[in-house]
Amino acid sequence: MSTAHDAHHDDHGHGHHGSRFIQHHYDDAQHQFDAGKLGIWIFLAQEVLFFSALFVAYILYRVHHGELYSYAHKYLDVKYGAINTAILIFSSLTAAWAVRCAQRNERAGLILCLATTIACAFGFLGIKYIEYSHKYHEQLLFGRYFDPCVSPGGNEFITKSNDCPGSKGSVHWDFGAGKATEGCYESSTIDQDPQTEGVQADCQVFETKVRIARGADGKETVTETSRKPIAERCHEWSLEEAEAEAEGGKQEAPEKFPCWKPSYQPAVCPDLTDATARAKGTAARPQVGILVEYGDHEERGEDIVIKAECKPAPKVTKELDILGTPEHPMQLGKPTIVKSHELTTHERHELEAMGPPPDHTNMFFTIYFAMTGLHGIHVFAGILVFMWLLIRALKGHFTPDYFGPIDYAALYWHIVDLIWIFLFPLLYLIH
Amino acid sequence: MASAAEHHDDHDHGLAHVASIKTLVATGGTLLFLTLVTVLATKIDFGANINLAIAMVIAVTKATLVILFFMHLRYDRLFHSVVFVSALLGAALFVGFTLMDTGQYQQTNIWNPSAPPVAPIGPRPTTGG
Amino acid sequence: MATPAAKRIHGPVSEPDFMNVTKGIRSWLITLDHKRIGMMYLFGILISLLVGGAFALIVRTELFLPGKQLVAGDTYNQFFTLHGAVMVFLVIIPGIPAALGNIIMPIQLGAPDVAFPRLNLASFYLWVSGAILLVLTIPFGSLDTGWTLYTPYSLESKTPVLIAVCGVFLLGFSSIFTGLNFIVTIHKFRPQGMGWFQLPLNVWAIYATGIMQVLATPVLGITVLLLAVERFAHIGIFDPTLGGDPVLFQHFFWFYSHPAVYIMIIPGMGVISELISTFSRKPIFGYRFIAYSSISLALLSFLVWGHHMFVSGQSRLANMVFSALTFTVGIPSAIKVFNWVATLYKGDIRLKTPMLYALSFLLLFTIGGLTGLFLGILSVDVHLHDTYFVVAHFHYVMMGSTLVAFLGALHYWWPKFTGRMYPESLGKICAIGVFFGFNLTFLPQFVMGSRGMPRRYWDYDPHYQIYHQLSTVGAFVLGISIFISVMYLFASFKNGPKAPRNPWGGSSLEWQAPTPPTLYNFEKPPVLHELYNYDDIVEVEPDVWERITPTEVEPAVADEIAKKTGTATEHTAGATEADKAAAMIHAKAEEVKAESKLDESSRAKPLDPAKLPDEIEIAKKVAGAGELVPAEQKLAEAEAEAKAKAAEPAKEESDKEKK
Repeated sequence: MSTAHDAHHDDHGHGHHGSRFIQHHYDDAQHQFDAGKLGIWIFLAQEVLFFSALFVAYILYRVHHGELYSYAHKYLDVKYGAINTAILIFSSLTAAWAVRCAQRNERAGLILCLATTIACAFGFLGIKYIEYSHKYHEQLLFGRYFDPCVSPGGNEFITKSNDCPGSKGSVHWDFGAGKATEGCYESSTIDQDPQTEGVQADCQVFETKVRIARGADGKETVTETSRKPIAERCHEWSLEEAEAEAEGGKQEAPEKFPCWKPSYQPAVCPDLTDATARAKGTAARPQVGILVEYGDHEERGEDIVIKAECKPAPKVTKELDILGTPEHPMQLGKPTIVKSHELTTHERHELEAMGPPPDHTNMFFTIYFAMTGLHGIHVFAGILVFMWLLIRALKGHFTPDYFGPIDYAALYWHIVDLIWIFLFPLLYLIH
Repeated sequence: MASAAEHHDDHDHGLAHVASIKTLVATGGTLLFLTLVTVLATKIDFGANINLAIAMVIAVTKATLVILFFMHLRYDRLFHSVVFVSALLGAALFVGFTLMDTGQYQQTNIWNPSAPPVAPIGPRPTTGG
Repeated sequence: MATPAAKRIHGPVSEPDFMNVTKGIRSWLITLDHKRIGMMYLFGILISLLVGGAFALIVRTELFLPGKQLVAGDTYNQFFTLHGAVMVFLVIIPGIPAALGNIIMPIQLGAPDVAFPRLNLASFYLWVSGAILLVLTIPFGSLDTGWTLYTPYSLESKTPVLIAVCGVFLLGFSSIFTGLNFIVTIHKFRPQGMGWFQLPLNVWAIYATGIMQVLATPVLGITVLLLAVERFAHIGIFDPTLGGDPVLFQHFFWFYSHPAVYIMIIPGMGVISELISTFSRKPIFGYRFIAYSSISLALLSFLVWGHHMFVSGQSRLANMVFSALTFTVGIPSAIKVFNWVATLYKGDIRLKTPMLYALSFLLLFTIGGLTGLFLGILSVDVHLHDTYFVVAHFHYVMMGSTLVAFLGALHYWWPKFTGRMYPESLGKICAIGVFFGFNLTFLPQFVMGSRGMPRRYWDYDPHYQIYHQLSTVGAFVLGISIFISVMYLFASFKNGPKAPRNPWGGSSLEWQAPTPPTLYNFEKPPVLHELYNYDDIVEVEPDVWERITPTEVEPAVADEIAKKTGTATEHTAGATEADKAAAMIHAKAEEVKAESKLDESSRAKPLDPAKLPDEIEIAKKVAGAGELVPAEQKLAEAEAEAKAKAAEPAKEESDKEKK
C-alpha cells in the first residue's frame, strides 16, 4: 500500500505542511474546504425540503381551517416562544463567532463559543421540555389524544381522559370504541349560543322525574311528574375528597352526587338529551349548564332527566368588558355581560376562546408537535455535533487551514435557527 | 471549480472570508430587536391578515439577515445561493400546487347548528342499541 | 505474448489493482474506495434483483390461470407489494447511480475518488440497513399495502408497516447522500480542461439525477416519518376521523415519487448515450441538447406529480394543470431519442452485448414514454388508471428502459472494473432473451389493461386468460435470461478471460485507466481528448482498441499505425512527405465519399495505395484551387524516387554483371 501511496504524492500535490486532516484525494486545504462547503449547502437544501411537507400541512390548515389556529394558539405561551427565539439567535451568533475564532486560530475563543452554543441549545430544549410537559399535563396533545382540560379563556372542560386537575368526573373513556364505558354526563338544556345571544345567567337546575308515553302514532310524549332542585341532590366535592374516595376512602356524602361548575362540555353522552327539546325540534346542544354526574344510566334510572331553567342574561345597563374589569373581574359560574357593540376580531377571538374547541382543533396540535418536535430533534442532533466539535477543538484539531467542520456545523445550526424564526410567528404569534 | 489550478494565493484571506465582530454583533442585535418588534406587533390588532403579513415580513427580514451574514452567503460563491434558493423554490412549488388542489375541496357535510342530529331519550331500545 | 503491444494492452502495472491492493473482508467492509463501495452495492443490488424477480415470478405464476394457483388474497398482496418495494427502493433507484456511478463516474472525471468517501460508505450502510429492514418485514407478516403505502389502509394494515417505512427512510437518506456526493464530485473534481461541456453525458445524467435525489427524497423522508408517527401515535394528519386528509399523503408521496422515476431513468439515458456513441464509432448527435435535456427533465419532473392522482379525489383544476404539465415532460425525453437515433445514422455499428441492450432501450423506452403520454391524458387515464395498462407502462420505462440500460452498462464496464471479459455469445443470447421475454410479458398487458383488467388482482375474468398466459411465459423467459446473465457475470469474475484496457474503443477517460483500475484509478494522469472523437482509436487486435495518439502508446508504434492507416500528419515521425500527402488526399476523398454514399459507414477506411489515383480525382472535387497541387507534386516526386530506387539495384546488378 505504501509504495502505491507514495507514487501518487506528486499527482495529488497536497502540501506536506498542511493539516493532517486534509484528505488524500484533495489537492489542498482550499479544495477540501470548498468541496465541503458545497456539500453542506446541498445538505441544507435537503433540510429545507425535509421540513417543507410540514409547512405544507401548516399552510393548508391555516388557509382552510383558520378557526383552529385562532382558537388554539392561545394555548401556547408567547413568553416561552420568544425566549426560545432569543436563545437561538444568540446561539447562532456564537456559532458564527466560533467559525471566526477558528479562522483566526483563537483557540480559547473557539472553545468558549462552541460551549456557549451548546449551552444555549440545552436551554432551548429545557424550555421546550417545560412547554411540552405543560401540554401533556393539560392534555393538549396531538390527534387522538387531544382532550383539553380548560379552554384558552380558562373555562374548564370535562374531559374524556379524566386526568385534568379539577376534573371531578369518573367517566372512563374507551378511545377505541369512541365512547364512555363508565359514567355519563348529563347536560342541562340551555339551547342558546352564548356567542350570539349572550351567556345565560341564574340557572336553576332540577332533577326531574318524567314519564314517557308512546302514542298510537309512534310519537313520544314526555310528562314531568316531579322535580327537585339539584342543590339538594348534589354535593360540591373538592379535589381532595375525590382523590380520597378514589383511593378507597370513605365517601363524604354518599347519597349525594357531585356538582359541577357551569362550563362548556362536549356531548360525551350523545344518547341522552332532553326529550322535550327534541320534541320541540330545537336541538339540545350542550351549552352552559350545570352538570351533574349521575353514574350509569341504569343506576340513575331511566326516568330521571336533568332540567335547567335559566333566565336570559340581563340587559346591559352599563358596559362591562367580557373579560372583566378590575372592579368586576370575570368569574366562572357567575353571569357575565356581553359588550353591547359589535365585537372586534380580538374580542371575538377572546370570546371564542371561552368556548369549546372547534372541530379538529387536534390538528393544530398535531402540526404544532410535528413541527416543533422535528425541529427539537434537529436541535438535539446539533448538540451532539457541537459536542463532538468541542472535543476536537479541545484536542487542537482546528487550524486556520482546517476549520471546515466548524463552518459546516455552524451553517447547519443557522438553518435550525432559520426554521425556528419562521415557526415562532407561525405558531405563537397568530392573531 | 477545477482542482489545483485555482489554489487561492491570497493567503492573508485564508480559506474563506472572515466575519468581523461588528457584523456579527450588529446582525445578532438586529435579530433580537426584530424579535421584540414582532412580539409587540401582535398586541395591536390590524386585522388577522395584516398581522400575519407583518409577522411574515419581519420573519423574512430576520431570515435574510441570518442567511446573508451569519451564513456568509453575501461573501460566498453565487452557486451556493443558487442551491439554497432552488430548495426554497421547490418547497414553494410543493405548497402552491397542493394549496391549489385542496383549495378546491367542497364542503360535503354541513353541520346545521340549529338542527344537529339528536338521539332518543328514554329506555334503551331492546333491539340491539 | 511478449510483444510490447501485449504488455501495453493488458495493463500496467507498477502497482496492484484496487481489488488486490489490500485483502480480506474487513478491508472491503471499511473501505473508502469508491470502486469497492460500488462493487458492494452492485452485489447487493443484483441479489435484490433476483429476490424481487422471484417475487414477480410468483405473482405471474399465480396469474397464469384464473382462480388461486399459488397465493391469493392478502398473501398475493404481500407478494406484489414486496416485489414493488424491493425493486423500486433496492434495485432501480440505487441501481445505476449507486453501483455503476460509484465505480465509473469518478474515473470518467479523471478523479481519484468521490468528494466524500466516508459519506459514500455511510450511504452504502444506510442502503444495507434499509434492505435488512425491508426484508425483516417478511417474517413479521410482510407488507400488503402496495409499495405506494397509501393511507388510510397503510394506517390500519396489520402488517408491520412501521418496520418497512423505517427501512424506506434509511434508503431515502442513502439516496440523498449519494446524490450530494456526486454533485460535489462533479463540481470539484474535474481536471483542467474539462469544462461542463466536455463532460461525458453519463456524468451529466448523474448530475441531473443528483439534483433530483437531493431535492425530492427528503420529502419522501418526512412523508414516511409522518406515516410512521401516525401509525404509532395517531397524530391524525392522514386520518379523516381525526381531522386529517388521506389525499394529502398522496400529494406528499408523489412529490417525491414522480421525480423518483426520473432518478431511475435519467442515469439509464446517460449510459445509453455512452453506449450508442461508442458502438457507432460516432460522436453523439446533439451533445448540448442531450445535456440540457437531462437538466430540464430533472427540473420538469417536479411539476407533474399529480398525474398519479387523477382519480384519487384530486380537484378538477389540479387535474387539468398536472395533465397539461405532463405533456411538457415528454419533450426532453423525445429530444434524446431523436439524438440517439441520429447518432446511429451512418455510424459504424458494432453489435456487441451492450449495444444490443442499448438498441432494446431505444424501442422499449419509446413505447414506455409514449404510453406514459396516453396516461397523462385526463380522460383516457380515468379509464386506464389502476389497470394493467399502467403496469405495462411503468414496466416498460422502469424495467425495459432502466433495467436494460443497467444491464447494458454492466456489460460495458464489466471488463474495466473486474478486469475480466464476460462470455460475449452468451451475453448476446441473454440480451435477445431479455428483449423478447420482456415484450412477451408486457405487450399483452397493454392490451388487457385497455380492456379493463385491473391491477393488483389475483383473480380475473377468464376472457383475460390468454393475455395473462402470454405474459407469464414471457416473464419466465425474461427471468431466466436475467438469471443467466447474473450467473455468467459472477462466473466471469473468477474465470473469465482477462480484459484489455479498452475492449470497446471507448473515448472517455475511464478507458485510459488500467484494467482493473489501481487504487487511485490511474497509473499516470489521464490525458483529455476531444470527447466522443473516435478517429484516433483503432482496433489493433480483435476487441482490443488503442488510441494512437502519442500520449497513449509509444511514439514509434503510434507512427507505424498512423502511416499504415493513412492518417499521418506533420506530427508523425518518420512519415515521408509522400505519406503525409497521401494521408491528406485520403482524408478528403473519404469526406466526399461519406457525403454521397448512404450505405457505407462514415468512418474513414485505411489507406490503400493502389486506390490513390482515384482518390486524387475525388478529392479534387472538394479541394480548393491549387490545394492539392503540392500534394500531387510530392506524390509524383515520391514515385520518381521509388522508380529510381527500383532502377538502382537493377543498375547495380547490371553494373555488377558488367564487371
